Amino acid sequence: MSRIAVSLTVNGEAARVEVEPREHLADLLRGTLLLTGTHIGCEHGVCGACTVEIDGVPARSCITHAGSCDGATVRTIEGFDDDEVMAALREAFSQEHALQCGYCTPGMLVTARDIVLRLPDADEARVREELAGNLCRCTGYRGIVRAVLHVLAARR
Amino acid sequence: MTVEQRGFGVGASLRRKEDARFLHGRGRFVGDITRPGMLEVAFLRSPIAHARLLGVTKPQGAEKRVFTLADLPGIGTIRANSALPGFRVSEQPALAKDRLRHVGEAIAACVAGSRAAAEDLAAACVLDYEALPAVHDMLQAPLPDQPLIHDHWTMNAFLETRRNDDVSGLDAVAAAKVTRTLRTSRQCMAPLEGRGVLAEWDPRLEQMIVTTSTQMPHVTKTGLADCLGLDEGQVRIVSPDVGGGFGYKGILLPEEIVCASLAIRLGRPVRWLEDRFEHLSASANCREHHYVITAWADKAGKLLGVECEATVDAGAYSSYPFGACLEAAQVGSILPGPYVLPLLRCHTISACTNKPPILPYRGVARTGVCYAMETTLDALARKLDITAEAIRLANLVPPDAMPYRNLVGKVFDSGDYPEALRRAVAAFDLDAIRARQAAGEAVGFGLATFCEQGAHGTSVYHAWGIPFVPGFEQAQARLSPDGVLELRVGVHSHGQGMETTLAQVANEILGVHPDKVRVVHGDTALTPYSTGTWGSRAMVMAGGAVAEACRQLAGRVAAIGAALMQVSVAEVEVADGKVRRRDSDVFVTIADVARTWYRAPQNLPPGVDKGGLEITAGYRPDPDTGTHSYACHAAVARVDVRTGAVVLEDYVIVEDGGKLVNPMIVDGQVMGGLAQGIGTALYEEMPYDRDGQPLAATLADYLLPGTTDVPDVRLEHMETLSPWTTFGQKGIGESGAIGPPGAIVNAINDALARLGAEVFDLPASPSRVLAAIHAAKGGVR
Ligand code: FES
Ligand code: FES
Repeated sequence: MSRIAVSLTVNGEAARVEVEPREHLADLLRGTLLLTGTHIGCEHGVCGACTVEIDGVPARSCITHAGSCDGATVRTIEGFDDDEVMAALREAFSQEHALQCGYCTPGMLVTARDIVLRLPDADEARVREELAGNLCRCTGYRGIVRAVLHVLAARR
Repeated sequence: MTVEQRGFGVGASLRRKEDARFLHGRGRFVGDITRPGMLEVAFLRSPIAHARLLGVTKPQGAEKRVFTLADLPGIGTIRANSALPGFRVSEQPALAKDRLRHVGEAIAACVAGSRAAAEDLAAACVLDYEALPAVHDMLQAPLPDQPLIHDHWTMNAFLETRRNDDVSGLDAVAAAKVTRTLRTSRQCMAPLEGRGVLAEWDPRLEQMIVTTSTQMPHVTKTGLADCLGLDEGQVRIVSPDVGGGFGYKGILLPEEIVCASLAIRLGRPVRWLEDRFEHLSASANCREHHYVITAWADKAGKLLGVECEATVDAGAYSSYPFGACLEAAQVGSILPGPYVLPLLRCHTISACTNKPPILPYRGVARTGVCYAMETTLDALARKLDITAEAIRLANLVPPDAMPYRNLVGKVFDSGDYPEALRRAVAAFDLDAIRARQAAGEAVGFGLATFCEQGAHGTSVYHAWGIPFVPGFEQAQARLSPDGVLELRVGVHSHGQGMETTLAQVANEILGVHPDKVRVVHGDTALTPYSTGTWGSRAMVMAGGAVAEACRQLAGRVAAIGAALMQVSVAEVEVADGKVRRRDSDVFVTIADVARTWYRAPQNLPPGVDKGGLEITAGYRPDPDTGTHSYACHAAVARVDVRTGAVVLEDYVIVEDGGKLVNPMIVDGQVMGGLAQGIGTALYEEMPYDRDGQPLAATLADYLLPGTTDVPDVRLEHMETLSPWTTFGQKGIGESGAIGPPGAIVNAINDALARLGAEVFDLPASPSRVLAAIHAAKGGVR
């Protein structure tokens, strides 16, 4: 099968890879680049477990063709170690028991960080609506919603 | 909240030790693990529900990379028998042999360097089969005109059970009698991580190492060794981080057997990861019940008797180890619920159909039974013109009757069931709801009360005669030379936070700081045998075993510590991670004791216990008939009578799980269960067509509750200790998933009562709610 050459920046580092046309970004990240913090829950764009940041915006890596990421800047859960908002969210997630098995957590955090930055005035209803594209089968969401609200409040 | 935070021990809402790795994307799930030279497997699966399998034509040139059962001689079939009289056992081949019995059944394993390439192989295989009529309806399945799914059986049923109390006189004496026909849908458990298996053969140890996403590594080991013809020393199961289980990861998989066999044959590590399509199409395997239930009550609402005809769609095979009849056979024993019931007549059938084999999903039969009983009680109350609260209060087992043995022999350990109900009702302004109803709003209030037997052991399960009767639970506690305490347990966490809660138990006994406690689990080579994490048993059983091991370890630590301080053992106590003289502030730390044992044995006292600082202790509550946590769920639902949409306005849970080891984690378990219960009540359904084809192939069709579907619940705890467990703790892991369908549909029916409409089937989707309204308008039922 033909392969596509792709140059992209992942978590601040340049990567040059060759991908199959059918390969999705989540497989590229997890397989070739060994960044297994991005999880796969459905591979059809519904569950949000694979959410990463592409060019500063949360996106589903399972329905993003790796071959279309030439020139893209991608950030995965492994790439937020210096990020203040992510640090606050991690703290709040633990405090509010926003994770059980932890499988949805990386995707949730990437989405949550975007909410905090984009919607500083969001109330609970808005937070719930914004998080609706990320499924969690374990927690019933209460801790997750509370954690996001907590970080939002702390930044006001 | 009634629980105070105290220190790091039992009862503290301690933050979880395991959180950090997940928050940083450093969790290790099966899919994150690779090995050099690893091959990936894609399964060729049955596209048809029922057929004679005539053959598989392998893609040209790839014959050696496609494996059918004939290519893997010597692997055994999965057999999960039951000692219940009349049980028909199935033979489930690891790969289909000459018959296809459900859509998604694995037929061949295709092996390649990547999953995508393996899927290409599967797509290039040509399947030859002769279609047979599909048995898709559990009510029809057992009838004599149906094609047999297992040829040597006499009917399509794994088991029938009967309890034959005479209820014939009740019509004459009852003030009210109602009959309801009710259905719950077939569901997928849908943990966010699917199953996954990585099998590798270690030629040095002559051992099969299987890394697999399982809740019960030891049981998988035994089952796998049996099917592979290896001795159990030759199988090691590693269960890394598990991305949710809920019962789905509590069985031996055909895929585990196949991958292990391939790894031996090919001399290469072999991995299979379930994808979501496989999960939805090949593993819709829980919850589908049908009830015809009649209940009689006197004027005050007191139950005189219940008669029930229950059918459970058990699918095509009996899964290992729990078998195909656990669910239906439980119906008869769970039906009395938390109530005083004088008479029960019950017939159950575990129907065999061309669907995936049934597995016990969180709550197991309780969710369906609670739904049937609670909606029937409300129907009785409406008929008697008494409140939902009154009819329950008239029947709940009173606190002064505890411990209470009910008519089917279940023993409730402790609790104040009516108080939970009263508190839940008191949390609402019912007058306001009634006023809104009077103003014409379709809003309603619904209740469900239930109890959850958990951690039941030998005395209960031996009667089922399943391949695994749980017995004593063991735990190992050992100090390392630096004073770190290792706890080794055979249960396995898949989100429950046992790395934290078991550390809290150890802290309670030894006072070692939880940071210095490491819980080792999920590896059969490192942990004592256990039937694993299921049946709401882990905190009672492993918690009890860890406490016992720590207690015994405390004795040995005290002996050495006392000698170091040159006093007698009677003069010291172990607390706060120290051995302390009772009469002064003089102490040595547990770490000092550990250092002495391992690195300065010259300082040990004569006659020291040669067993050292490593203890394996066992535990089983006495009696082991199980703890009974209980709860009242109360919901306010608003129905849009034009669209049939239901909104949950408010939800209250009053729950009693005995002593809560970590209240924060218990809340999380209840909340997570609630979300799943809301899914059962309102959203989740895997429909099958007449050909036995599953119709929801993506998560856009199979609806899991999202953030906007689960309300911010008000949760209240009571803490009535179980008299039979180490700290009074009760199993509570499944509870949240049991009550919601009953409470929510009762609220919907209350909202629709003025229209004379009633919902009978789950999920109460907009179309079903609308159908109920239309049926009422048309005067039908
Ligand atoms: S894995 Fe990408 S949305 Fe589910
Ligand atoms: S914590 Fe398990 S899926 Fe969210």
